[in-house]
Amino acid sequence: MASDTIALGIADPDARPIGERLHDWVVTVDHKKLGILYILYSLFMLVIGGVEATIMRIQLIVPHNHFVSPQVFNRMFTMHGTTMIFFVAMPILFGFGTYLIPLMIGTRDMAFPRLNAFSFWMTAFGGLLLYFSFIGGNGLYGAGNAPDVGWFAYAPLTSRAFSPGHSTDFWTLALLVSGIGSIGTAVNFITTILCMRCPGMTLGKMPLLAWLNLVTGGLVILAVSPLTAAQIMLSIDRYLGGHFFDTQAGGAAVLWMHFFWIFGHPEVYVLIIPCFAFASEIIPVFSRKPIFGYPVMVGATVAIGFISMSVWAHHMFTVGMSSYGNAFFTATTMVIAVPTGIKIFNWIGTMWGGKIQFRAPMLFCIAFLFQFLIAGLTGIMLGASPFNWQLSNSYFVVAHFHYVIVGGILFTVFGAFYYWFPKMSGRMYNDALAKWHFWLFLIGFHLTFDFMHIPGMLGMPRRIYTYEPGRGWDIWNLIITIGVFFQIAGVLVFVGNLLWSLLKGEPAGNDPWDAWTLEWSTTSPPPDYNFAKIPVVESRRPLWDIKHPEDPDWKYE
Amino acid sequence: MHRSDSRTETPEATPGTIKLPAPTAWPIVFAFGITLLLAGLLTSPSVSILGAILAVTGCIGWFQDVLPHEMEETVEVKAEVFVITTPRREVERLPVAPELPRALLPLETYPVSAGIKGGLAGSVAMAVLACLYGVLKQRSIWYPINLLAATIYGQSLQLTPATLNAFHLGSFVVASFIHLLTSLLVGLLYGAMLPMFPRRPILLGGVIAPILWTGLLYSVLGLLNPLLNKVIDWRWFIASQFAFGIVAGLVVVRQQRVRIRQFVPFLMRAGFEGPGITKEKPEKDGSR
Repeated sequence: MASDTIALGIADPDARPIGERLHDWVVTVDHKKLGILYILYSLFMLVIGGVEATIMRIQLIVPHNHFVSPQVFNRMFTMHGTTMIFFVAMPILFGFGTYLIPLMIGTRDMAFPRLNAFSFWMTAFGGLLLYFSFIGGNGLYGAGNAPDVGWFAYAPLTSRAFSPGHSTDFWTLALLVSGIGSIGTAVNFITTILCMRCPGMTLGKMPLLAWLNLVTGGLVILAVSPLTAAQIMLSIDRYLGGHFFDTQAGGAAVLWMHFFWIFGHPEVYVLIIPCFAFASEIIPVFSRKPIFGYPVMVGATVAIGFISMSVWAHHMFTVGMSSYGNAFFTATTMVIAVPTGIKIFNWIGTMWGGKIQFRAPMLFCIAFLFQFLIAGLTGIMLGASPFNWQLSNSYFVVAHFHYVIVGGILFTVFGAFYYWFPKMSGRMYNDALAKWHFWLFLIGFHLTFDFMHIPGMLGMPRRIYTYEPGRGWDIWNLIITIGVFFQIAGVLVFVGNLLWSLLKGEPAGNDPWDAWTLEWSTTSPPPDYNFAKIPVVESRRPLWDIKHPEDPDWKYE
Repeated sequence: MHRSDSRTETPEATPGTIKLPAPTAWPIVFAFGITLLLAGLLTSPSVSILGAILAVTGCIGWFQDVLPHEMEETVEVKAEVFVITTPRREVERLPVAPELPRALLPLETYPVSAGIKGGLAGSVAMAVLACLYGVLKQRSIWYPINLLAATIYGQSLQLTPATLNAFHLGSFVVASFIHLLTSLLVGLLYGAMLPMFPRRPILLGGVIAPILWTGLLYSVLGLLNPLLNKVIDWRWFIASQFAFGIVAGLVVVRQQRVRIRQFVPFLMRAGFEGPGITKEKPEKDGSR
């Protein structure tokens, strides 16, 4: 009734009718299939979010442009932000975690396989609900209307007086639904990692990917819960006469900001920590050295997890907090740079003196190191409240967080794709195409987001529909939009490479990278049961121990 | 490998097979039900009613899947033998410690006391130079002390140019605290870092680090403390940094180095004693 192996659909050797095979995917509770579903869903949403970004950039390519109306522009930046954070970045990282965690800790499935399926479908239906707003979200004119309140939906813009119709409600409920899925996934990650590790895998011998996803799981529970509560409060305000965020009736619009950002800033770490995990797995393998400072890497991640819960109001410096509030959140923002800097130091320490192989996953991780460093430095700049007062809500901020999300997160996700694609599909990707993808995307990224800092410093506000010529913004906006087309070309090469490789790629073998963690000790793609016999490990690099019995790691850990 | 078509509720598996959680539609039914339940609030009550029915049905079905025993399916194990091996048998090693197959670097380091001594000595050198600047340039030994206190002490920031040259107890205490604490911390940092740069420790500690630190401060002080930025004399500032670095570095490198305890657990290095801190690992043959 089922397949021999869990591969990305097309490579599945099963010859049963397509309907029956699709049914298998719909009712599956297998972590590998669910991981792949998460990833495919996110890739689909990435295309949608990318189209929305492209529409915005075409609108801004020249002054006084009218490619779309102001109303459509507002919907585009709202849907782009919401889609990319909640329905691309989070699910794609959950997908990799769902696929990899059981394999890397030597178990056969997640702790709660049915909850795993439920979480995925909640996430998927959340996205569906959001986009149903184009049809069902009646707005001011009774027509279909997507949300247009921005991705952080500040009060009082979200009140019924300023957002009539249902578009904002679709946004609220979509995040509520997907939030339930996210919490389910986090519970599953934590339980699986704490309770289902194979014999011998103490916490100190766990792969860094598992450690970092453990921290991510904790952060998701802490961060998404306030957002869910805020969405319920907003719905009460809109439909049941509540006044949580209604300043004129004794509520506080600033309360929404606190609720949103106590979700929103830890969310940045929810997204970046799994990417740190990818880098921590990929860089050692392609440097042919063990990770430098494993305990410090774990400690730094845990420290980031804790500190990230105390930095949220640096998004609110311009609201007008007290000087003590400004000083506290400036200080915590500076402090979080320390463990983050330690991690960058350790990745460079891992590469130092290694035999570096510049394969596609490594190229993306090296680019990530430089780009994330710059993103961190502009983050420190924006974390200083006097500086923030000058540039808050400008394109400088947009450039900063895209440096994090694209330069940090998306680059490592691409690296992870190329690294684990052979394991998931059983086939090797085309290396030349992968390098084309890397260089096109790198050029596009830097054209877009390096130059985006400049109009920000020249005073261009974010979310502006169009602008007057002669303010010194014109040339920069032109370059930024040109960069987008390089990025699109890179992504097209990536998708083409994936499809071509699934059909025609060379067989990958079980361990194409000569790697050291457990997922490479089973077949590519892995069987339903992952391991015929549950492995026993004695060090952080169990496959090294087997490959080098004369000098195993376990003697030194 | 094949799955059996029959689903079982028994936990035992026959040899050559593995039991896995059985596929089920109830999670997707439950999720779809909840989504419709909420979507009905914005569309039509009938949608919510359908959602509620699906959610309850999904819930019941899910319970039946796991109670009283989890529903499982039997999967045959595919007999496949493969050897985990590597094409890279040769491992290059840094020639640092021939007697050790692996080593933590540096092999030797300075004791904590070396850093403290270095920090204290550097603090004296820096203070002498700073006071010299006060006397020669500002006609007051208290000027640099008040200025240092003003980096964090609000009362010192209130001082006028005239009163900056006078003694203020509060500023003196704050400045002394900042100076001693920072000196000790930097001294400890030198003690930890200098063994990692064994060739030219004084160049690093006495020249490169002060230049980098001064350059960093020079570029950001205007943002962090514009008032201080206006009155600071950068030539004297960097001279005092050199004085600290060279003296602290010299004191540290003259201390006796101690060999680090390779691969000893943290608890033992921290001085804890007791059974179970280290686990004896038997030697094994290569066929593990």
